[in-house]
Amino acid sequence: MRAPSTGLLAGGVIALTAIVLVLVGAPHDRPSPPPRAPSATGVPASSVGARGVRLTSTAIELPADEAIFPEGPRSDLVNANCTACHSASMALDQPRLSAEQWRATVTKMREVYKAPVRAADVDAIVQYLVGMPGQSGGAPSGSAQDPAPNVPPSRS
Amino acid sequence: MNMLDARMAAETSRRRLLAAGVLGAVGAAVPAIAQRTVDLHLPGGNAERTLTSAFPGKGSMILQRTRPPLLETPMEVFDRSIFTPNDRFFVRWHWADIPTAVDVETFRLRVGGHVTRPLSIGLAQLLRLPRVEIPAVNQCSGNSRGLFQPRVAGAQWGHGAMGNAKWLGVRLRDILDLAGVKAGAVQVRFGALDRPLTPDGPDFAKSLDIDHARDGEVMIAFGMNGEQLPMLNGFPIRLVVPGWYSTYWIKALNSIQVLPHADDHYWMAKAYKIPATPRANVAPGSKDFPTIPINRMIPRSWMTSLPDGQVVAWEPSIPVGGIAMGGDCGMAKVDVSSDGGRTWYRTALGPDEGRYGFRRWDGRVPLRRGTNAIMTRCWNTRGVAQPATPIWNPGGYMRGNIETTHVVAA
Ligand code: HEC
Repeated sequence: MRAPSTGLLAGGVIALTAIVLVLVGAPHDRPSPPPRAPSATGVPASSVGARGVRLTSTAIELPADEAIFPEGPRSDLVNANCTACHSASMALDQPRLSAEQWRATVTKMREVYKAPVRAADVDAIVQYLVGMPGQSGGAPSGSAQDPAPNVPPSRS
Repeated sequence: MNMLDARMAAETSRRRLLAAGVLGAVGAAVPAIAQRTVDLHLPGGNAERTLTSAFPGKGSMILQRTRPPLLETPMEVFDRSIFTPNDRFFVRWHWADIPTAVDVETFRLRVGGHVTRPLSIGLAQLLRLPRVEIPAVNQCSGNSRGLFQPRVAGAQWGHGAMGNAKWLGVRLRDILDLAGVKAGAVQVRFGALDRPLTPDGPDFAKSLDIDHARDGEVMIAFGMNGEQLPMLNGFPIRLVVPGWYSTYWIKALNSIQVLPHADDHYWMAKAYKIPATPRANVAPGSKDFPTIPINRMIPRSWMTSLPDGQVVAWEPSIPVGGIAMGGDCGMAKVDVSSDGGRTWYRTALGPDEGRYGFRRWDGRVPLRRGTNAIMTRCWNTRGVAQPATPIWNPGGYMRGNIETTHVVAA
């Protein structure tokens, strides 16, 4: 449990896009120095071993995710607010959800995960989410489980 | 049909396959760069996912989310062995600031809180402690969530948010004893190298009751199927909680805090809560029911020898096989039906490699022309059987009903 990367978000003060950039681009102040990975440098990775088991320092590079929400009314707003912490696919791959369910999700992002989404933007974001590909057309399949709009659901 | 012949059943049925009904563009001839997709057959659609090999240490996986990674194991992997290869083992992180580099010389596991001797343990020290190895299934609380009806929000997993591995490590009890748990300890909280992206967002940490933590089975693993853990599965060490859902199996574990009270942080108090009802089941749409933290797993079984929707050449009977798990105890038996559950046939079980692991089953069922609904049902050693009807809860947790695979005989 490292100390959270402090100072990354100054709620409300900076423009939203700036916040997103900071979130995504902030250097990680990890406590341990990067390991000597078994790499092209030829320097052998450090390792520790005892009683027949050896563990070797490792470093990986994760694939980037450039995908954004498809063009649509206020897609700019959704891209600015909903891609900082996770891929757009987190929302795009959801089953058809009602407006109330989407509102509850956005509320959860704000209240639980502290997403810097302005209250004034919630309506427009919910409207985009309800109409985005994979959602539109037909009755919401999950409408039977609408959580109370103001109570963040406890699922994860 | 007469007695099933298990040896017959073990023979693969692949050569009789006519067409792949599930995987788009499946086959060895497809160039590696081609984007293959998989249809998870989730009710209501939006179920197409791409297969990716872009993640370090991972082979072909179903891409549920790139950042932070959610990677699902394709079902056919479970058909090849009851142990899931490390490079096909599912991946699940909550916050996107996940560890991508670990130096084994400077890494420390800190033990503190309600103890007499706070510790900072290096990996070299950990490797010198007495060892245990346990084969155990690691299954996401929300495995198969995408099949809930009505559908619920969250990661839309098919059945592949699970895997079975041989975990090698040290007993958590030994570590706690070294630190000296003080009287009045209630829970133990486990934290990791991953971090929230917002300063006051809830850091992912989970807790176990002190007696559970000291039961001698909960362990800290540095080995997985004879290798070090893949970074994406929690290198250098992770918690292993045999029989319990994966949410407690903290990856990249670096903090153990003994608490003199119950953990009241978000991930224990609010998230991963199930209805306090039999089978965690409530009527769709229910709210305001009492909840408890998700805990022990339940029995489950799957047919893995043929994918859902497979078309085969008709013959009077076919071999079928798959995997099953007992949940929080051993697996006792698996029955299989090809007529939607009217007639059930016994199957032969593969070797018992540990009560918390997967167990192979093989059998033979009659085939009718047209669509055959093949169902598998298992019982665990406590006598708990998989129920026919699915449950529902708003988190999409703990699916465990009899699963059906459709095979079309042409
Ligand atoms: C401050 C970080 C942050 C921001 C910004 C954010 N989310 Fe999330 N979101 C999370 C976390 C953390 C999870 C849980 C991820 C997990 O369990 O893997 C999550 C999960 C989700 C889920 C899955 C359902 C659930 O309840 O867990 C959906 C859908 C979702 N987010 C949509 C959105 C949308 C839409 C936006 C834009 C309004 C958004 N998110 C912005 C952090 C954020």
